[in-house]
Amino acid sequence: MTALPGFRPSPSPRWGTLARLRRGWPAYLFLLPTLLLVGYFSYYPAYIAVTRAFTDWDGLNVPNFTGVENFQRAVSDPVMGQATLNMAIWVVLGLILALVPPLLISELIFHLRGQRRQYAYRTLFVIPIVIPSLVLLLVWGSFYRSDGLLNNLLASVGLSGLRHDWLSDPGTALYSLIFLGFPYVDAFNFLLLYAGLQAIPQDVFDAAKIDGATGWRRVLRIDLPLLRPQLGLIAVLAIIGNVQYFISPLVLTSGGPGFATTVPALLMYFTATRDGEYGYAMAIAVLLMILVVALTGLSRWLSRGSR
Amino acid sequence: MNRRLTLTALLLAAPALASTAGAAPGSWRGTINMAAADYTPNFPGVKKENQLKVFQQIADEYEKRYPGIKIRFYTQPIPDTNTMIRVKAAAGELFDVYWAQAYSLNSTLPRGVAADLAPAFKQPNPYVPGNKAWQDVMDKAQLAEGRNANGAVYTLSGDKVAYTIFYNKDLFKKAGVTKVPTTWPELIAASKRLNAAGIFPMHAVPAYPWWSRHFLTDFYSKDYAKLTGYDGLPGQSPLDEAVAIHKGILTPKDDRFMSWWPVMKQFTDTWPKDYLTADPAKNYDAFQDFVGQKEAMLYEGSYKVREMLDAGVKFPVGAFNFPKLSKNESRHATGVNTANAYSGTGGFQFAMSTPLSNKTMREKGKTEAVLDWMRFFGTPRNLQRLTAEQGTYAPTWPGTSVRLALSNFDSGAITTQIKLPERSIGAQNASANLGWVDMQRIFGLYLSGNITLDQAKAQAQTVLDRAAQDYARKNKVDLSKY
Repeated sequence: MTALPGFRPSPSPRWGTLARLRRGWPAYLFLLPTLLLVGYFSYYPAYIAVTRAFTDWDGLNVPNFTGVENFQRAVSDPVMGQATLNMAIWVVLGLILALVPPLLISELIFHLRGQRRQYAYRTLFVIPIVIPSLVLLLVWGSFYRSDGLLNNLLASVGLSGLRHDWLSDPGTALYSLIFLGFPYVDAFNFLLLYAGLQAIPQDVFDAAKIDGATGWRRVLRIDLPLLRPQLGLIAVLAIIGNVQYFISPLVLTSGGPGFATTVPALLMYFTATRDGEYGYAMAIAVLLMILVVALTGLSRWLSRGSR
Repeated sequence: MNRRLTLTALLLAAPALASTAGAAPGSWRGTINMAAADYTPNFPGVKKENQLKVFQQIADEYEKRYPGIKIRFYTQPIPDTNTMIRVKAAAGELFDVYWAQAYSLNSTLPRGVAADLAPAFKQPNPYVPGNKAWQDVMDKAQLAEGRNANGAVYTLSGDKVAYTIFYNKDLFKKAGVTKVPTTWPELIAASKRLNAAGIFPMHAVPAYPWWSRHFLTDFYSKDYAKLTGYDGLPGQSPLDEAVAIHKGILTPKDDRFMSWWPVMKQFTDTWPKDYLTADPAKNYDAFQDFVGQKEAMLYEGSYKVREMLDAGVKFPVGAFNFPKLSKNESRHATGVNTANAYSGTGGFQFAMSTPLSNKTMREKGKTEAVLDWMRFFGTPRNLQRLTAEQGTYAPTWPGTSVRLALSNFDSGAITTQIKLPERSIGAQNASANLGWVDMQRIFGLYLSGNITLDQAKAQAQTVLDRAAQDYARKNKVDLSKY
C-alpha cells in the first residue's frame, strides 16, 4: 500500500507494541537518557517518599515499618490542623494574587498606544525577575518591622493608628506574608497573559469594537474567554505552588507567632530537618501530593465545565 | 545501607572503644579529619592577630609523636551543624571528630552518627599521668547532663558558656543611667529610662531556655537535690527533667514553674515587639542591632565577645549579671544568686563518628587511632590551653581555670559569675521541642500579649506532657518507676 503524500500510513492493527517500538527505535533511543534521568531524579524520590511515609525512618538507619501511624499522627495533630487552614487561606488569596494583578497590568500595557511604550512597560515589570527572591523577602521583612518603611509610611500620611507589629501579631502575620511583594505582578504570569492577548487576532477586537464591546465589556466578553487556557494554566500552577510554598514563613517568621504562619510544607521541612523525623515528614509530603493532585483535578474539571 | 551492614559496623565499633586502653593509636596510619568549630585553628577570614593556633600546635605534637598520622582541621564555616551531620552521615562521609550539641545527639540526630564514648571514659587516659579513668578528670555534673537515657555519652565535653547582659556604656550614659542594674526593679527602671531617651533597651528574641534557667534555678533551689537526683547522678539530666515533668513538678501544675512569666513580661514590655514571637535563630539580627548601637543591652553568651571583636565594635561595652530576685518580684524567690545558672557545654564538645556515619572508620584500627587522638587533646592541660587562647569559654574540668580574653571589655561581671557554684534547673533537654521550639512559641505569644497566662499554662502543659511521653517512648523509659 502506498501512502498518500503528507500522510502517515495508519498503523496496522496487527502490529503490536514491540513492532512499534522496533520501528521507532531511534526516537526511543534519544529519549532514553532523559527518561532515565527523570525516572531517577523525579519518580524514584517520589517512590521513596511514598514507601518511607509508612516507616519511622530517621534519615540514616534502616526504616521500621509502622503502618499508617504517621498518617494518623498527621491528621490528628492540632498544629497540622492550623497549618492546613493557613494553607487554605494562602491558596485562595494566592490564586487571586496570581491572576488579578498580572491580568490588569497585561491589559493596561497591551492597550497602550505605541509598541515602544508597551515594550518599555513590559520590561519594567519583568526586570525584577532578576532579583533573588530571598533578597526580596529580607527587604520586605525590614519593611514590616515596627520601625520599618510600612509603619513610617502610615505615620507620614497621618495614619499612625494603623501602625502595627505586622509579623509579630498572629492576627496579621499570615496576611502580611501572603500580601508581601506589592504590586504582585508575577513576571511569568504577566508574560503568559500578555502573550495570550497578543495571540487574539486583531479582527476579533475590530469586530468587538463594531459590536460596541469596548472597555470592561470587551475584557469580560472577549479577553477573558479567549485567555481561558492561560488563566487555567496560571491557576493550576498557582495552586500547586502555594500548596508547596514555605519559603517566606521559613525566612521571616519560622512559622510563628505561635503557629500563625505555619503551613504543612513548612511543618514537613521542620519535621525532617530540625526534628529528624523523616518518616513523618514524608507522610506529610504524601498528603500534600494527594492534595495537589486533587486540587489540580478539581481546577481542571471546573475549567472544563465552564466551557 | 542494609540492616546487616549497619549492625556489623556498630558491633565492630563497640568492642574497639571498650578495649582501647593502651597509650598508642595502634598500627593504623592516615589522616584524621576534625571539625573543631569554635576552636578551629587558622580559620580563613579571621584577622591574623585573632587567629587561633593552639589546636594546630596540639595536632603537631601528636603528629610528631606518631609519624604517619595526620590531623587535618576543617576550616570552612558550617552554618547548620545538625544538617551537616545528617547529610554527611547519610553519605557515610562524616568527619572523624566533630563538634555537636549533646542534646541534639541525644534527641533529634539519628542514632549511629556518633560513637558511645562512655566505655572509653571508664578507661584510663594514658595522656593524663596516673589517671585510672578518663572521666575522673571531667566535670561530673556535665557528664551526667550529656548522658543519654540508654547510658551512652556521645560527646567529650569540657567547657561552658557564661551568659550575661552586655550593655553599651555610651547609650546608658546618654539615657542618664549611671548605676548598673543589680536588682530587678533597677533593671526595669533602667529600661524605661532608655526607652524614654528613644533607645531600645533590648531588641531580641527572649530565649526561653536561657531566661528560664535563672528563674527556675532560684524558685526550685530548695528542691535542687531532688530534681537532679532521679537518675542517681549529679546535674540535671534529660531523664531528671522528664521525670520532674511526669511528676507535675516542672509543669504549670506547680506554681513556681510559670509564675516568673509576668515578671519577665515587665522587662520585655520595654522592648520593641518585633522579636518577641520570633525564632531564637533570628537572634542574629538582634546582635547586629547591638553592634549597630540600635539597642543598649544584649543578653548573650561569652562567645559573643569574640564576635564583637570580629565585628569591629569600638564603643565601650560592659556586662552585668542576671540580678538576684527578691520577694517583691515573686513570693517564690529564694534569694539564690543564679547568674551562673545556664548549664550545658560550649565549644569543647566533640563527638566521634561511627563506621555507619563515616565509611573510613571501617578501616582496621582507625577507631582506636581516632579515640587515641581524642584522649590526647582531651586532657585538662590541653583543655586549659585551648580555652585560654580562645578566650570566650570557661573550662569546667576540675583543676582548670578560666582565662577569658576580654581585655577590651569590662569583664568583671562575667569573671565573677563563673566563680559561682554550678546549680541549674530548667526544662529544655528532654525533648527536641521542649525549649527552643514549642515552649518558645508559647512564651513569645504570652510576652507579646497575644495570649493570657492561663492560656499559656494550658498550652505549656500540653507541650510538656507530649515531651515527657516522647522521651519515654523514644528511650523506652518507664517514668512511673521514679
